[in-house]
Amino acid sequence: MIQTALFIWLLPLAAFTIQILFGKRLPRKGDWVSITAIGISFVLAISLLIQALTHYDPEFVVTASIPWIDLGSFKINMGIYLDNLAIIMLMVVTTVSFLVHVYSLGYMKGETYYNRFYAYLSLFSFSMLGLILWDNLFGIYIMWELVGICSYLLIGFYFEKDSAANAGKKAFITNRVGDFGFLIGLLIVFTSLGTFNLSEINLGVSQGMLSGGLLTAAGILLFAGAIGKSAQFPLHVWLPDAMEGPTPVSALIHAATMVAAGVYLMARLSFMLSFDAMLVVAYVGGFTALFSATIAITQNDIKRVLAYSTISQLGYMIMAIGVGAYTAGFFHLVTHAMFKAGLFLASGSVIHAVHHSMDKIGEHGDPNDMRNMGGFKSKMPITYLVFLIFSLALSGIPFFSGFLSKDAILGGSLAFALAQHNPIHFLLPVFGFLAAAITAFYMFRLIIMTFYGEPKKPKLFEHIHESPKTMTIPLLTLAFLSLFFVYTIPSINPTTGEGGWFYHLIEKPVSAVSTQLGHAVYQMTEHAEHLAHVSGLMISIVLALAGILLAFAFYFWKKIDVEALTEKIKPLYLLSLNKYYIDEIYNATVIRGLLIWNDFLSWFDGAVIDGLVNSTAWIVRNFSVLDGLFDTYVVDGLVNGVGSAVSAFGKSLRKVQTGQIQNYVLGAVLGTAIIIILTMI
Amino acid sequence: MSNLNSIQYFIPELFLTAAILALIIVDLFLKRKQKSIIAYLSAAASLVAGFLAYQQFSLPATSIFQGMLVLDSFAIFFKILAAFSTVIVVFISLDKFRETAEYFILLLIVTLGMFIMPAVNDILMIIIAMEIVGLISYVLAGIHKTDLKSTEAALKYMIYGAVSTGIMAFGFSLIYGLTGHTNLYDIQMTLASGHVNSVAMFIAFMMVLAGLGYKIAMVPFHFWVPDVYEGAPTPVTAFLSVGPKAAGFALFIRFLVTIVAHPSSGAADTFVQNVDIQAPFLIAVLAVLTMTLGNFSALNQKNIKRMLGYSAIAHVGYMVMALVVFNKDAFGAIMFYMIVYLFMNFGAFWILESLSSKLGGEDIEHYKGLGYRDSFTAVSMAVFMFSLTGLPPLAGFIGKVYLFAAVIKQGWLILALLGVLNSVVSLFYYVSVVKAMFLKQDDELAPIQTSLYHKIMVLILVVPTLVLGVYWSPVIEFTTNSIGLFFGR
Repeated sequence: MIQTALFIWLLPLAAFTIQILFGKRLPRKGDWVSITAIGISFVLAISLLIQALTHYDPEFVVTASIPWIDLGSFKINMGIYLDNLAIIMLMVVTTVSFLVHVYSLGYMKGETYYNRFYAYLSLFSFSMLGLILWDNLFGIYIMWELVGICSYLLIGFYFEKDSAANAGKKAFITNRVGDFGFLIGLLIVFTSLGTFNLSEINLGVSQGMLSGGLLTAAGILLFAGAIGKSAQFPLHVWLPDAMEGPTPVSALIHAATMVAAGVYLMARLSFMLSFDAMLVVAYVGGFTALFSATIAITQNDIKRVLAYSTISQLGYMIMAIGVGAYTAGFFHLVTHAMFKAGLFLASGSVIHAVHHSMDKIGEHGDPNDMRNMGGFKSKMPITYLVFLIFSLALSGIPFFSGFLSKDAILGGSLAFALAQHNPIHFLLPVFGFLAAAITAFYMFRLIIMTFYGEPKKPKLFEHIHESPKTMTIPLLTLAFLSLFFVYTIPSINPTTGEGGWFYHLIEKPVSAVSTQLGHAVYQMTEHAEHLAHVSGLMISIVLALAGILLAFAFYFWKKIDVEALTEKIKPLYLLSLNKYYIDEIYNATVIRGLLIWNDFLSWFDGAVIDGLVNSTAWIVRNFSVLDGLFDTYVVDGLVNGVGSAVSAFGKSLRKVQTGQIQNYVLGAVLGTAIIIILTMI
Repeated sequence: MSNLNSIQYFIPELFLTAAILALIIVDLFLKRKQKSIIAYLSAAASLVAGFLAYQQFSLPATSIFQGMLVLDSFAIFFKILAAFSTVIVVFISLDKFRETAEYFILLLIVTLGMFIMPAVNDILMIIIAMEIVGLISYVLAGIHKTDLKSTEAALKYMIYGAVSTGIMAFGFSLIYGLTGHTNLYDIQMTLASGHVNSVAMFIAFMMVLAGLGYKIAMVPFHFWVPDVYEGAPTPVTAFLSVGPKAAGFALFIRFLVTIVAHPSSGAADTFVQNVDIQAPFLIAVLAVLTMTLGNFSALNQKNIKRMLGYSAIAHVGYMVMALVVFNKDAFGAIMFYMIVYLFMNFGAFWILESLSSKLGGEDIEHYKGLGYRDSFTAVSMAVFMFSLTGLPPLAGFIGKVYLFAAVIKQGWLILALLGVLNSVVSLFYYVSVVKAMFLKQDDELAPIQTSLYHKIMVLILVVPTLVLGVYWSPVIEFTTNSIGLFFGR
């Protein structure tokens, strides 16, 4: 199994190497190299999953490692940690990655840097798979940074465009902020436990070698990395801008896999989160879920709606980890990866159509703007159908995968609140339920604006056509993977995934934190989850349906005048439209602050230091005659002296090398004699 | 062990001997054009010998031929190293000596000597092994009979070697007189019993040191190095700077840990001194002298081959430095450094050998702008230069880390500091090559076309130099496993 995992991991690297070196010269610019590599990885991942299913053991783990760095007491091993979590994650990444590779055949056709695009995709797949497989935090950190670089490269893929280049930079720099937290957390773990290995960390934490405030700090700092990568508030600002990248990239990296890396990391580390750290995680996640859902309502760019929706859903997952609904959180990661990748690819299909249509009629506009769309249902039946399925899944409607996982998270948060003595924690389920309703609303707003109603621009509408097969087949595959029974087999209960293989394979790990409180919370929520399940189920269905109905009332039946309502709550509307002015606030505080500090330093340099220099200048000038003499004779003398001494020493040494053998022999004999005499004295 | 029983433990050497004899006969029947077959056969023979030596790795350490030789993992390590370096040298020399079949046969004979050198357990065997390696080396250095420089180098080498070996033999005779034994282990036991005059023993030790120092080119027995390295054909220089030197180090280590010190409590981890002399301090001083002299003389050298010759002395200094501490760490570090040094040094010499005719010479001057004429070779050369300096993340850095770590662990801080300072000096002359290659663009010179053979050879040598800088655990594990010194009759 380890070998299979190694192949899955390294094949994309091989593809990357071939692509980056020879891609341009290969037939078809070498797209088949990358696709073959990820295709084989995909098949191998399926074989791994089948093996995991035949074992059908929640405790299933295979590990292997070899020493990598060995400097006395400082040892790092390179190894693979393959458990059910990793296998399912491998499956998710290879599936989405493979489908995106195929989809890009159609979408990226004719791009100038076509081969480079595939090279980057392969590098990304390699890094992401490595992040999943490594058995120690150090390796995970390396891969973590590598996926960040791939993300940067792919966001800025259209680097001729300023906005794309800037978006890439923004993503990278924002992520750095979180990554510093990650690094510090990593170092705390290493200095206290002396290891990066996950199992050894688990052992160390359960032995109490890292506990109390330091453990909480380590947990929160490691979580900071996840905040950056999974675009949680307050570091979420990069993800919407990242939509500047090609749409397949948005689907792969910024919806399904890389942004989920933060969630995956938290799932891997959930055993070492103290209760306080978990609270922080839960609140950051819950708040983000609601916060970005409210932004998604007012956005007009089809991809931005989806971007904010992604942030919101990631918030759900993070919250799930925070409230201890571990399985639910990871479950949502998997289902979300499928339907959100699908949504992005479907939106890409729409954008592709609009883009080509615009090219044909010679219009220059934003192909992403939903206000130009409408009525596409008849022209793009497949895209419409899959879009509807994905939206229903995302909205949490029964019979679709999203319902199972989202409902489990909501139930989990409710259970957590019920189990706590402090009523303030009911905020978490409230965040979750509100966000669920809003999610249903904005998704159907998007569908109605894009596919229903009258075409906004008839001329544009005429040239809209369905996308090629390379694009629709991945969409249909993902749509199939968004149906509930994929995850509930062997049970076919559409209300819960608990009888299914997924719940069987993924079991919440026992917390290593030794405080009674942490452990008790873990136990209690598990128990309370069952209690909260039914009520959570009811509330979430009602809220989702309400959201959908409201969307139809607003945009389809036009029962409520949107314009008038907008006018009435203008401040709120503007707040949401402008994303709560977070970017502006950052500009005004952090960036301006840095610039002011910069200016201050420059002023300080110019006025104070230069002033000092200038004012001392005349003093110096008076001394300069003396100084000059000193410089010439003493300092230069010294410097040149050292230089020429070395040189002269070298020269004199070479002089010994006369070329006369008799001198050499004399040297050897004399040398021996001198050494003997010197040591004897 | 009796002579007859010992033969089964002597298979690699017997195989080499048979191969040498067979090749001499085969050579007689070959036409001029076919002579390169001998080269391939000798590479194959040394590869097989190395493999046969590797097969012995699992055998229990023992002494063979009635205590004349030993068979232990330490010796086997150096045998494999010797075989491997011979294989590479054959391929480096292939072009130049295509029609000189006897050259390759001579190389094989040196290899046989290098197989015996690390396995000696008797004073007589030391002299025999060193003479096999030495005599053939003189011939190799002067293989270009019509080249004055080459013959001069060979003559100097021989006279110098004769004197050094003479001093050493004199030293051995003193040791025999003092202890009454020729077997190293017996000598050790006699010395440990404490009935030996320490002054006389010290003088004998110093005399032996002259012979050993000459073999590894340690100051003040290094005088032959610059002239011979410059005069000998480049492949021979490359060979002399790695193969026989490694075998010399093996001999040196074995001599030190049996005669001068013996293992405390049976394990070959730490050693106690037999003889009442300041051996560690003496070696430390010689190490510093060696590296300083090597590095300072290499400064301002115009000829890269001569520069590499001097720098080879400096590298000997680094390795001798680790000998100051008699323990497992130090021996492991030296063995690891030998492996690393093999790749980077052969790499530099190979580029020198294969490009000199195209560039018109071996001077730094000729390498001007190479980065713009053949970037692959130039980048590889830069990698070798930086690795020889010891910059991370290259193999040379890791090698030096282990050398310095072994010394620092035992508290020889000033020694380590002097070593590091020396590394800084070496940066100057190594970088001057890189500087010439990259910072001096010369548009008038056309790009150089190199053969596929050249590229593959460079790759074979540059990849380990890069990889060992990042991932070296298996190699260090192998060297650590190889430090199994056998002590006994």
